[in-house]
Amino acid sequence: MKYQPRALIAEVTHRCPLHCVYCSNPLEMQNRSLELSTAAWVSILEQAAALGVLQLHLTGGEPLTRNDLEELVRAGRDSRLYVNLITSAVGLTETRLDALVDAGLDHVQLSFQDIEEGPANEFAGTRSHALKLRTAELIRKRRIGFTLNMVVHRRNLDRLEQMIAFAEQSGAQRLEIAHVQYYGWALRNQAMLLPTREQVDKSVEIVEDARKRLEGRLRIDFVLPDYYAKYPKPCMNGWGHQQMLIDPAGRVLPCHAAGVIPGLEFANASEHPLEWIWEESPAFNRFRDESWMKEPCRSCDRRSRDYGGCRCQALLLAGDADATDPVCTLAPQHDIVETILAKVNNGRQADWVYRIDPV
Amino acid sequence: MNPLAPETKLRLAPGCRLNEAGSEEDLLLIPEGALRLKGPARAIIELCTGQNAIREIIAELEKRFGAENSGRIESETVALLTRLRARGALEAV
Repeated sequence: MKYQPRALIAEVTHRCPLHCVYCSNPLEMQNRSLELSTAAWVSILEQAAALGVLQLHLTGGEPLTRNDLEELVRAGRDSRLYVNLITSAVGLTETRLDALVDAGLDHVQLSFQDIEEGPANEFAGTRSHALKLRTAELIRKRRIGFTLNMVVHRRNLDRLEQMIAFAEQSGAQRLEIAHVQYYGWALRNQAMLLPTREQVDKSVEIVEDARKRLEGRLRIDFVLPDYYAKYPKPCMNGWGHQQMLIDPAGRVLPCHAAGVIPGLEFANASEHPLEWIWEESPAFNRFRDESWMKEPCRSCDRRSRDYGGCRCQALLLAGDADATDPVCTLAPQHDIVETILAKVNNGRQADWVYRIDPV
Repeated sequence: MNPLAPETKLRLAPGCRLNEAGSEEDLLLIPEGALRLKGPARAIIELCTGQNAIREIIAELEKRFGAENSGRIESETVALLTRLRARGALEAV
């Protein structure tokens, strides 16, 4: 197998009590009636492990809205997968946490929208911040991997130092500082979210200092907003190279956002073997090698490092999934990004668009 | 970070574990992925139970791999444990 999948992102539901203004779910969400059964997920996890997948990331929506989450965790461990739960904390009672740990949960990633309650609740579209703080206390008391995820953007980036200080005493071993990436709901709210260049530069300095100071105590992973980068990110470490995402209805995609690319048919794991989908299906092979590339990617020295950037971003910004990712300073359509950045850095204001729940 | 002392007792940090013994490859599973383990790395990590001091772990490895390699066993073991602790995969008890 030339490309071996290492991680499966299982979006087990799109239902979520939060309504985050940068939710990474697609604008068109899958309804509850279409969600895969427990048995279907168990079969998928067995197949994924057989393909070489090591890590299972249970995400959503909010995975805790599924009553069978404990069963899915157990099935993941039975298939020898490392099981990570990505959660908002809503629904994570002490009893439920114990049941999940008992089922073999390896790790919890708890997301925060801010360090101050008012703005955190505003960004989440719900009053969930206080509950998250209480849940962090429950998690730290158990011997389980614990990552705090802080989603940062223009409206909260100036509180980055307080966020890191909170993480230091939270009991988490790891802090993920994730600048919002502009797909789905975040792209809708981009004018409100995209930070200024000054903020981004400051955040890089703060993170570098904190990493040095906290080495061996708290690991910090930092995702930069690629709009400010010189070259694009190696999105998903390559299309269909290491990861796959399965949506609540069973569609298998190379990433969160790939559904926006027209003309691609994503096979369903309840209709096809996962091995065929990964190895053979046209969608997974569409951008896997370099044959789709146009100039300047085709002859670029960096093409095997960043794969021309993100195909979804190329589609969303340039209207062409085969284009060089417009965030690349070498891209013919880079002016699109420059225009967006010019507006942001000149202080334009807008209003939120909140996501709604699927029925 | 302080260097490791011979009396330090290490164990796997929460959220880190070895894959099943006898798997195709030896891996240390960690929150952000997996570290591929070469040579005796798996055996060394298995000895990090939180009960054994690094000094005792080295003595045990010398028993297994021969005291004539003593210098190398010590330096390579300390290097591995230092890397894994800096990575957050091992913690001192």
